Amino acid sequence: MKAAAGLLTAALLLAGAAAAQQVKWNFDKLAAKSSSTVDVSLDGSLLRFATKFLSDKDDDEAKVKKLVGGLKGIYVKSFEFKKPGEYTAADLEAFRAPLHAPDWQRIVGVHSNEDGETVEVYIKNEGKGIGGLAIIATETKQLTLVNIVGPIDLDSLSELGGHFGIPEVDVDKKK
Amino acid sequence: MAFDDELRLALRREEPSPAFTERVLARVAATRVRPARQPWIRWVAGMAAALMLAAGGMEYREYQGERAKAQVLLAVRIAGGKLNKAHKKVQMLTHRSNS
Repeated sequence: MKAAAGLLTAALLLAGAAAAQQVKWNFDKLAAKSSSTVDVSLDGSLLRFATKFLSDKDDDEAKVKKLVGGLKGIYVKSFEFKKPGEYTAADLEAFRAPLHAPDWQRIVGVHSNEDGETVEVYIKNEGKGIGGLAIIATETKQLTLVNIVGPIDLDSLSELGGHFGIPEVDVDKKK
Repeated sequence: MAFDDELRLALRREEPSPAFTERVLARVAATRVRPARQPWIRWVAGMAAALMLAAGGMEYREYQGERAKAQVLLAVRIAGGKLNKAHKKVQMLTHRSNS
């Protein structure tokens, strides 16, 4: 009986660990072609450590602190290429492959013929809320992959995207 | 006296005087004794070394923390920026289809 209970506990722990895992993407091929790379890899313990250095007095930092407080990991990889066409449709398909149903759901997929930009947003369903986020964003000479592990507030994240010196994208002005 | 006898006499075994051992030991003892260092110097040196180590450790931790914080802000900036872009494009498409 005790052994069965132990096995059940271990199975639940493993299931929990698997649910909180980051998306497995292989970047080797693109890394070799890119001219520059941004790589952010923060697991749960590093995130908790980092939040201690985020100020409560600074509005933006306080918002970030609240946003990332419950996260289990943030992973960002952004590649810049010298010329267009360095990544292929097959490369993108390989990045989409782990983001399949029923765990993952694509909530946004936008493509602009004007500037050749594509943004795909996936969320991980976990119970009643969002258990994670993945973004695949492409431009002609740039490919960015984001994976956030843990419950995330999309509105707050989107709002913060217009801060820290990154201007909000005002699409209407392009008309 | 023959030369051999003179030599034997000169090199004959002679016992030291009774005070000889005491004199030698007294001199050895006198040379061994050095003025002892003040114990507080060692203590202060130890404390200074410990403080320097602690300060170095704290500085390194501060550096690691600031680095992690910068990474969090960069990640949020990139992720939020892309999400914001998608959001705006959806808004634009909705606006276009409604008008």
